[in-house]
Amino acid sequence: MGIEIKNIYKRFGSLTVVNGVSVDIADGEFFVMLGPSGCGKTTTLRMVAGLETASEGQIFINGRDMTHAEPRHRDIAMAFQDYGLYPNMTVFQNIEFPLKIRKLAPAERRRKVEETAGRLGISDYLGRKPAQMSGGQRQRVSLARALVRNPKVFLMDEPLSNLDAKLRAVMRTEIKKLVTDLGITTIYVTHDQIEAMSMADRIAVMRKGDMVQVAPPLQVYDRPATCFVADFIGSPPMNLFKAELANNGRVVCQVQGFGDALDDAERERARAMADRHGHFAVGIRPEHLQCVAAGTPGSVEGIVELVEPLGQTTNIYLLSGDTKYVVVTDRTSLRAGDTIGVIAPGDKVRAVGLDR
Amino acid sequence: MASQKPLLSRAVKLAAAYALALVATAFFAFPVFWMAGSSVKSELDISQYPPVWSFTPTFENYAKLASELDAFDAFVNSAVIVGLATTLAMVCGTMAAYALARFDVKGKEIIAFEVLSIRMLPPIVSVIPMFIIARALGIFDTYWLLAAAYGLAGLPFVVWVMRVFIQDIPQSIEEAAMIDGCSRFQTFWRVTLPLLLPGLAATMVIVFMFAWNEFLLASMLTSQNAKTLPVIAANAIKPKAIAWGLASAAGVVMSLPVVVLVLMMQRYLVRGLTLGAVKG
Repeated sequence: MGIEIKNIYKRFGSLTVVNGVSVDIADGEFFVMLGPSGCGKTTTLRMVAGLETASEGQIFINGRDMTHAEPRHRDIAMAFQDYGLYPNMTVFQNIEFPLKIRKLAPAERRRKVEETAGRLGISDYLGRKPAQMSGGQRQRVSLARALVRNPKVFLMDEPLSNLDAKLRAVMRTEIKKLVTDLGITTIYVTHDQIEAMSMADRIAVMRKGDMVQVAPPLQVYDRPATCFVADFIGSPPMNLFKAELANNGRVVCQVQGFGDALDDAERERARAMADRHGHFAVGIRPEHLQCVAAGTPGSVEGIVELVEPLGQTTNIYLLSGDTKYVVVTDRTSLRAGDTIGVIAPGDKVRAVGLDR
Repeated sequence: MASQKPLLSRAVKLAAAYALALVATAFFAFPVFWMAGSSVKSELDISQYPPVWSFTPTFENYAKLASELDAFDAFVNSAVIVGLATTLAMVCGTMAAYALARFDVKGKEIIAFEVLSIRMLPPIVSVIPMFIIARALGIFDTYWLLAAAYGLAGLPFVVWVMRVFIQDIPQSIEEAAMIDGCSRFQTFWRVTLPLLLPGLAATMVIVFMFAWNEFLLASMLTSQNAKTLPVIAANAIKPKAIAWGLASAAGVVMSLPVVVLVLMMQRYLVRGLTLGAVKG
């Protein structure tokens, strides 16, 4: 049940946009595809919707092979970045449209439209045209139109990216609550890591047509599979240091002190993920590094380059040798030019694979 | 006191704008007014010089138009031929434009250019081949010939203009409709078409006017049965003199349907003609 994507490809001429993606999405799961523009996340979504035909591979929706079915036969709903509302119809007519196409009785249609509009808080605007509404209201209308026919699957293509930051935060929680309450299987496409982290049951990080990592948000954050994922998620992103497995099993790292901090389990991991030259990366989240007095045993010496107070936290940009990295701490009295020690706790240092 | 000066200059500007608009309107409207006036003058009044401004209106020119030139038959011919041609061009042209705008057609830029190239041929070049083909097919001097000729002539224009109008409609609206349960055709019929009405109206008026006023093909490809209004209007030019009253009456009769059509379409026309210029 849910959605099953089996090894799908999408090629436009010689350009491969989606490169053999496979994933099972469980019934009722909130699945987020995250990645920069051009990574193939929207194309993958559009293939699930039937708006794009897969060049290869299969798509199953609720157990039925829908690879070549028309969108209308897939029992899906979709929300678009630019809302896709019918500009010549009122809000009521917009929401009613899918019911009208399904030839429901007028009274039944009215009841459902009013119920859905009430759920989304747009009951007062039913007589308006989309052009007379704000972006947030329009997106609510598009959500109402999608939800009015109780779809099994809800596809959302960057629905919040045209809204301002504050409204985005509000809509984020609302959408999440709505689809969770209704138990709808959702695929949500975004390039915003905060949306992905806060809403997803599972995140798929995409890069150049591949799903690089598919895992729950915190696992993606704590154990990024590759440098791309590590760099894409988190703000400021994970500190990455080039590292290499020497023949004697020793780890040689750009900042040797951090390489030495890898615990045994991570060393094992590094052995598994290093490329054939033995290269990999040592990753440490900025908030896991600890600033101590210079010369503390086990610490790496660093020179403070810049201090960035953000109120809640402070970013300290450091230089060790010729390697730059960042530490996130509470408020501090450090200044540019100070020399300090930095400690990487062994259980927080990760081996991260390089991207192919 | 200080605020009065700009107020005054604004009034002057407004007056100047109105005056200019009035002059422009008069310039364009005068020939029409003169034609309408001449059509209800008697033969005597028309030949007066300097022109007379007050006269007893008479409808003798219209009566003559009907009796001498068979204007009624020609009007029916024109209406049928142009109606057929406009319908043909609009239906086929819009569907072709939709395909070129929305579908992944191989070499669609070449197809679009090829369609337009029909327009590049001067009509006078094609009139003799058309005459010969029409004779061979046995459709010379029939409705079908002119309707086909006008339809084909209007087609490239419809394709090109409607393609732009269709491209201006965000694709996500159509995709939303397909996901909401529409087939491709339902999407076009229920969602796209209503949004295209202004464009369709503007395009239709232009195609209609072209066919309604066309003279060259009509005069060469008809002899008795399918004569259109422009052809019989030209008959007002007699070997010895021009029958101004008759010509004016013919002009009025020819203009009326266009005026009615434009008035009917006005609601859409204003939006249609400015769409594309200002997106939104």
